[in-house]
Amino acid sequence: MNRRFQCHTLTAALTLGTALAGPLQAEDYALMRQPVYIGVRACSACHAGEARGHQFSKWRLTAHAGAYASLAKPEAKAIAELAGIPGEPQTAKMCLGCHATAAEAEDWERLDTFHVEDGLQCEACHGPGSEYATREIMMDRDRAMAMGLKMDAKERCLVCHRDKGSHKAVLNTPPFDLENAWQRIAHPAPKDPVEPLPAPADPADGAAPGEHQYTGVMACSKCHQGEKFGFQYSKWRDTPHARAFADLASPRGYEIAREAGIEGDPGTSPQCLECHTTGHGQPGTDFLESFDPRDGVQCEACHGPGSDYSPEQTMKDKTAATAAGLWKPDESTCLKCHANAHGKPFNYREAVRTIRHPNRPRALVSKPEYKTPLFLGFNPDGSELWIPCEAGNSVIIVDPVARVKVAEIPIGGQPTAVCFDPPGRRAFVSNRLDDTVSVIDVASRTVIDTLVVGDEPHGVMTDREGRYLYVLNTSIDSISVFDLATMEETKRLTASRAPWLMARSPDGTQLVVTHTLPRFGGVRHSSMSELAVLDLATATVESRYVVPDANLLQGIAWHPSGEYAVFTLLRTKNLVPMTRLLQGWTITNGLGILWRDGTVDQVLLDETHRYFPDPADVIVTPDGRYALVTSSGSDRVAVVDLARLTSMLKAASPEERRRIFPNHLGKPTEFITKFIPTRFSPRGIACAPDGKTAFAANALDDSLTVIDLDRLEAVGEVDLGGPREISKVRWGEQLFHSANIAFRRQFSCHTCHPDGHIDGITYDIEPDGIGLDPVDNRTLRGVNDMAPYKWTGKNPTLKRQCGPRLAVFFTRIDPFTPEQLDAVDNYICTIQRPPNRYRRLDEPLTPAQRRGKAMFERTMTNDRRVIPAGQRCTTCHPPPLFTDGRVHDIGTQGPLDLASRFDAPHLNNIYDSAPYLHDGRAPSLEEIWTVYNPHDQHGITNDMTKDQLNDLIEYLKTL
Amino acid sequence: MKTNHLLLFCLAAGCGGLLLAEDATVPAAPDPGRPFVYRQWDHFSTANGLPNDHIFAVKVHGPKVWVGTEDGLACLDKRTGEWQSWGEKDGLPWRVVSSIDVNPKTGEVWLGLFGGGLARFSAGRFDHYHQLNSGLVNDVVYGVAVEHDNVWAATTAGASRYDTIGDKWSIYTEQNAPMEEIWNYGVCYNDGLVYLGVWGSGVLEFDIATEQWKDYLDPDREMEIDLYRDDGIIHVITTGVSYIEKALWVSTYFGVCRYDGRHWRGWYARESGLPSDFNNAVKGRSAQEAWYCTDKGVGALMDFDTDTWVTYTTDGVNHTGQAVIQRGEQVLATVDTGYNLSHNYALAVDFDGNDVWIGTSKGLCRGVGAGYYPRLQTPPSTTDPAGP
Repeated sequence: MNRRFQCHTLTAALTLGTALAGPLQAEDYALMRQPVYIGVRACSACHAGEARGHQFSKWRLTAHAGAYASLAKPEAKAIAELAGIPGEPQTAKMCLGCHATAAEAEDWERLDTFHVEDGLQCEACHGPGSEYATREIMMDRDRAMAMGLKMDAKERCLVCHRDKGSHKAVLNTPPFDLENAWQRIAHPAPKDPVEPLPAPADPADGAAPGEHQYTGVMACSKCHQGEKFGFQYSKWRDTPHARAFADLASPRGYEIAREAGIEGDPGTSPQCLECHTTGHGQPGTDFLESFDPRDGVQCEACHGPGSDYSPEQTMKDKTAATAAGLWKPDESTCLKCHANAHGKPFNYREAVRTIRHPNRPRALVSKPEYKTPLFLGFNPDGSELWIPCEAGNSVIIVDPVARVKVAEIPIGGQPTAVCFDPPGRRAFVSNRLDDTVSVIDVASRTVIDTLVVGDEPHGVMTDREGRYLYVLNTSIDSISVFDLATMEETKRLTASRAPWLMARSPDGTQLVVTHTLPRFGGVRHSSMSELAVLDLATATVESRYVVPDANLLQGIAWHPSGEYAVFTLLRTKNLVPMTRLLQGWTITNGLGILWRDGTVDQVLLDETHRYFPDPADVIVTPDGRYALVTSSGSDRVAVVDLARLTSMLKAASPEERRRIFPNHLGKPTEFITKFIPTRFSPRGIACAPDGKTAFAANALDDSLTVIDLDRLEAVGEVDLGGPREISKVRWGEQLFHSANIAFRRQFSCHTCHPDGHIDGITYDIEPDGIGLDPVDNRTLRGVNDMAPYKWTGKNPTLKRQCGPRLAVFFTRIDPFTPEQLDAVDNYICTIQRPPNRYRRLDEPLTPAQRRGKAMFERTMTNDRRVIPAGQRCTTCHPPPLFTDGRVHDIGTQGPLDLASRFDAPHLNNIYDSAPYLHDGRAPSLEEIWTVYNPHDQHGITNDMTKDQLNDLIEYLKTL
Repeated sequence: MKTNHLLLFCLAAGCGGLLLAEDATVPAAPDPGRPFVYRQWDHFSTANGLPNDHIFAVKVHGPKVWVGTEDGLACLDKRTGEWQSWGEKDGLPWRVVSSIDVNPKTGEVWLGLFGGGLARFSAGRFDHYHQLNSGLVNDVVYGVAVEHDNVWAATTAGASRYDTIGDKWSIYTEQNAPMEEIWNYGVCYNDGLVYLGVWGSGVLEFDIATEQWKDYLDPDREMEIDLYRDDGIIHVITTGVSYIEKALWVSTYFGVCRYDGRHWRGWYARESGLPSDFNNAVKGRSAQEAWYCTDKGVGALMDFDTDTWVTYTTDGVNHTGQAVIQRGEQVLATVDTGYNLSHNYALAVDFDGNDVWIGTSKGLCRGVGAGYYPRLQTPPSTTDPAGP
């Protein structure tokens, strides 16, 4: 058995030989000194036993060793949901970053001896060991450190052990006590090691070999983990069985041994090992290399040595498995060790209940599943109304005459918008989360195809002839063009920032595309947004029209005359301090008019006493009389008399149209006929082809409001079948999207953080009122654990960020009540970060990304100068959150900034939240270093070559 | 005469550049015909709406002719005859437009900016990519070429390839390509191959499918002399490349050449219709025809098989011009074309159906190709020495 405890003697060459399959490429040579992870079992070859102070066993008894297994608990799932992390925590890089070792490493960086299931192992703190973990090197501390051994300061623990809102909310853990924790995990080797007693005679000597061999728990864990198997491995790891061997090294272990008359290390006593390990007493030939006795009482202690029954095919056949040696444990199995063990009573039934590990998925916690209808569309003959539902991952079909839901089709993640081909045979629904468009056969109501498109597809539309399908990829500023005959993407057109919705001109020659984010305009510039006009004959962008001082261009509709199109917009006066809200001069909401010749007019829909926040969509009635505009922030639909509006504009002077009307709060009364109330948060609106009825989708009420277009009144509702119960998160979502929180309902949280993301604008939100400290608006996606908040890091919690401070600096009205605040915070915590588009789950890094990772983690400059720890990327942006939660002076204080130290932002999905730096001065990642780091205060970067910087950025995009 | 015909026959038969001695026993080959000569020229300058007369790039795409100048971008809409131009005040990110290519799928115009990086011009909006805000390797961009959804930039510090779909930049320098020098002058894409003309490093070929590089260097490694004829690229100081119908046309500051995948053929001014060995650019119209822009006029190899050239030069003072028809070294005819090139210092050329556009250091001109025919035609009579 002792041969399995031999010291690890890997060399770099062996390491690479194991890790890199196939002939070495030039690139591989560059990685020759790249250390790889060897796993705790390799470390334990030397760091176990009395002579080393039982370091291995001490670790095994810490929470670090069970960190991975703890992710299988229901609490972990709850935490992940609060942190905006989709999927199982055991597969989420963000969770594994602190609950496992080498989460950021690629497969080739882990030897076969390494097991992620071992949680936070030695190498999590001491660095990958392949280069230093030999006896010869480890005897010389300086040499070992030169070869990569890390002896981090205890403050490094705070990278993971920082306050995390998600963990506190679920576990209600007390604040982390670093000093105490440091003492608890201390594992010094004895200065004067006790001379071990001679090892007792091995009882296996002379024993007959068994029929089957022991494989070890790690072999079992290859299948018996994850949700499918009820997290069996992790459940075992959380039991005393898994700690049984390590327990022998504890003071209590020694105490019991002494009471039993056992001298020396209990970990070498056959009497102890018989019940604290697995298979003790069997000859060495009965154990496969994968077996490790230090895993304590393992699966095979109860189920028998598994070499012959463990293959999957055998395990699926109970008879065959039994024939191959699978035991069926019973009370006698347990009693072998638990009968009168150390005087402790043993209750078999209770014990079985404690360690039960059924192989079935965890029971799901029932929670309300809402629909959240966003946009909607009639099929060409008007007989059906289709409504993609973002939260329901489905499209609901409503009979517009009977006003009832008739069908619901499950499709992709976050369905958003819908359109039909001209004959109405196929429907196309964009799935924003999945980056796909579902093609649905209308007759059979089945998904017949799934088109892969660009990131976060939003608006969809075909041309009148049905030649092409246009898909707006809102996260990557492009328009996919699909040939509807072949269903192939033929080209991608360049949009502006965040293309949103589009409308086809009545003559079928043009599509006009709106954009929610303004063009990059530089610090302290007002927004310049864009309407892109596509020529449908050539499927190219024909014109781009700038809409000055406007942002969040969203809904759009053509007048049936083809003379003009109307679109929704915001006029965010970001150059004005937010505290000017009382003067009505912060965010106004309106309508734009794009005339056929490219001229753009803007008017407001706000009234002085009551604004029209978050205009989201617009339709024009078939007779051309009215435009109906939804306000998701005030739960209303505005009816605009288009004849009055256009007459007003045509009669006005150019100066009035350019400067007065876009800002005139008194003008809307001249053309708004009335406001029609809806339910919570109306977003999309559609008009029946006969022009008699319109339907508004109440996103946060799972209903449609039916509007009679003759009477201009709401005449009914269509229930889309969402749950009646309003959960705290849903309530928070409603509050987040409601402008009731702002003076005269000027805006909601959603206004500046549309759908929890960014509006791309730099604001002056400080109380000075004179334009100091402008700050870039940051995304709320996955924000929960990113405390502190604000660019200055002044707010330690979301509650503080969104509480009274919000009222003082932003909304100028009574703040959220504590209950409301709790609900809003709950909702914000659930805003998920979309999957990273530059590195899908489990994808290896590309060569450029791999080189970039080396740059991110580098400790030496190109000319071999040591980079001080404070100027390394990983110091302030350590994984897995990629922020240390502190403020730093990186030399970016501008003339308007009072502070010089700013919060280190997290880097997750950094690619989708430009512009960068605290005041949004850097439109691209490159400029952070090429322009705004002249003195290497933001990391040592000026020695990088251009291709190294490119590689670094390629890697950053994968985080 | 016999010798020349024999040589031409041999060239046509694939004998490469073998120089044969005169053989009196070989019967004289029939005249293979005469090339088309552009006799009608239109001229454009600042007087017509160009922002500047120093023309660095011309690119024809559909009804539009895009022109890069020393001080702005211009576009002629052939349907209306109207010029539109853009300078820095109009959003053009940099005044000097040194190269132009158009994405045929999207119609987006990509501009190489001499000192200013790259720009995408899409429906009136300029998007600027430079070495500080993007992965572009260097801002001194000489050449630009669209390859599928990628854009290549030939810069003074290597080549860049921008994946417009994945928003990813790749850099090619001596670190990862067989680039002995990194001063990239020209780039072109066709048929799955990208060619880079590199000052001092000959021509580099990048196979899109395999992502493998291949280099074409002057085998004799001599800068001043050409030791062995047609043994490879004529000189490594390469200025332009053009690949069409499996033929690679190359211009250098020391002569020009052509490669058909197996054989090289080089030309100097002294033995061909090339007006000068100092070549700024080349554009192939087919595997048989290519136009070379030199500092002393334009040499158009109209029929490779018969080595038939037409050399256009102008008298910049009197606005007269001539075209010399030449087969190898032999002048067949000289045609008075009237004012042809805007200036003899030619920097850019592109084809527009039968027409040809040439950018010069003093204006842009268009050779009107009414009646153009490729290669050669047999003269219907001998009354016109220039042929049909």
